[in-house]
Amino acid sequence: MGEEEVKQEEKEEKAKPKEEFKLSFDYFNESRLGIFALIIGILVAIFPGLPAFIKGIGMMIVFVWGADSVRKTARYGLGTGVPSIGVLAMGFGIIGGITGIAVASLSFGTLVVGGVEIAFGVLAGVALLALLGFVSGNLANGDKFINMKIPGLERGMTELGMAGTLAVLIETSIITGTYAITSVLPNVINNGVIAVIFIISAFGMLQPLNTCLGADERRGRTLLMSIEIGGIASIILGLVTTLTLSAVQGVPLIVLGAVVWVVFYRAYMKACMKEAYAVKGTGLIKTLGG
Amino acid sequence: MLFAWMLILAFLAFIACMFEDLESDIGSQSNPNSQIQLAPEMGYIHRYFNKAISGEGLSYALSCTISGTIAMLILLQLESVGPKAAILAIPVGAAVGSLVHMVRSSVCHVGREAAHKRFEQPIYLDVLYGHLLPIATHNFLAVICITAIAYIQSNLGILSGVAGASNPFPLPLLCLIWGLTVGAIGSSTGDIHYGTERAFQDKPFGEGRRVVYHGQICRYADCGVRTSKDVAAFCAKYGGPATGLAFGLIVLFENWRTVIGMTLGGLAGPGWNPSLAAAWGIGIGIVIAVVLVILARTLEKWARNKYGPFVGE
Repeated sequence: MGEEEVKQEEKEEKAKPKEEFKLSFDYFNESRLGIFALIIGILVAIFPGLPAFIKGIGMMIVFVWGADSVRKTARYGLGTGVPSIGVLAMGFGIIGGITGIAVASLSFGTLVVGGVEIAFGVLAGVALLALLGFVSGNLANGDKFINMKIPGLERGMTELGMAGTLAVLIETSIITGTYAITSVLPNVINNGVIAVIFIISAFGMLQPLNTCLGADERRGRTLLMSIEIGGIASIILGLVTTLTLSAVQGVPLIVLGAVVWVVFYRAYMKACMKEAYAVKGTGLIKTLGG
Repeated sequence: MLFAWMLILAFLAFIACMFEDLESDIGSQSNPNSQIQLAPEMGYIHRYFNKAISGEGLSYALSCTISGTIAMLILLQLESVGPKAAILAIPVGAAVGSLVHMVRSSVCHVGREAAHKRFEQPIYLDVLYGHLLPIATHNFLAVICITAIAYIQSNLGILSGVAGASNPFPLPLLCLIWGLTVGAIGSSTGDIHYGTERAFQDKPFGEGRRVVYHGQICRYADCGVRTSKDVAAFCAKYGGPATGLAFGLIVLFENWRTVIGMTLGGLAGPGWNPSLAAAWGIGIGIVIAVVLVILARTLEKWARNKYGPFVGE
């Protein structure tokens, strides 16, 4: 018992500096986070030979970026449209992911340098969706077309397209370990794992803002939750990977997911409790005007 | 045999959608949520549970898809056991799915109430803890039924002995589609009962709520302050079963017309004629739709005659 308590205390101490660091996303403002996540995401996506848990970290960073883009697009009072924006991102993502995988499985799509696979082909999907997102953002916002007048919609849609595509690509490469279409089709698409990829990535992007929506929403708190969903996604993908690839790839991913989930769930709950107006055990409600 | 399985599907759909609706009422998800969200901004501090995971369709798609994926993994591991493995796989999958759902709803309540700081809405811990278990249990029953429906559909050929009756889609994808559907039906049919009869109790017949009164929800129960759990007990009488009936009938009619069409078209035997099967299926579907429209119109006329004209007419 004594040892366990010490371990728990150690864990708490470990969690605290992380929490302080992550609670302030000040350095990573919207532009910096976008560039950082794009670079990390592309780096993780083009090396399908990386260990699964490194790809898991890349996936979480992409989730954070996606959630930030949803926030950018939807915080101007979109309200019930927030989930739609997240699903739109993953709709983009599935198109871009399939395109990227298709190009990467062509003969010129993947280079092998010294035994290391570099799948440049997937960048075609990312680029296509950046274009598609920009065009659809312009269509929705332009004066001549739907004219929705949402500030920053073009940029938000472009980023959503890229983030969705990267999320699908990274999760596919977690499960299969390669982009060869002969391996992707039976392991991801035919057995329906694509459904879980779709829905959980959509939640990683749409749920943070939808859940924290309100007058006193804070960016740091919202993004914490995105990483927390990344933890759940890692656990489930780890279970799938254990079956499709091997336990060597899957188990570290499950452990990573569990640790990330515990740390960030705690951090998020603490942040909410701290920032709420009051936390009461129980009590009656305040009467109107009183 | 095929018809027997169809009836089981319809029955499971009835139970699934009933519990789905009650579960969404416990957390005031979907449509009533906008009023629960608005209430503190209008000065109405409340003790409802604010479960804004997303729309009902998507949040059910999440828990059902996770359930389906886990069930599929277990089924693949226990392939040698045969169909009996489903007895283990479906409940375990549903348990994982509803666990994820519970975690997501716990996050929602604190997130939304913390964002109401300037309106002085506190987080009541007993509301948070007290609602999580009912949410998880109702969700479990809905998800287990949906996973079972998806499992039966994807293995119908083996179960009924009619070759070619299995759905070509894999289990997780079927779960995604059914989850979206059950959430959508629960949202469109069930929320009306909760939103107009519990959140606003003094609404005149047929009138929409004026914008001025938005957020002014009914916060007191028959005894004491109302929480979302009381709403579930109220809705379990009519709202939940009505929603379940809606979804069960949809599944029943849809499968019924498909099976009859397929049977008339020869059902994959030597006389198999796909275009004839499709024509019969579509024809029966149109007949059902026309009958339903007539029934709905009669019901509306009867209600207007009995309860007077709409306010403002």
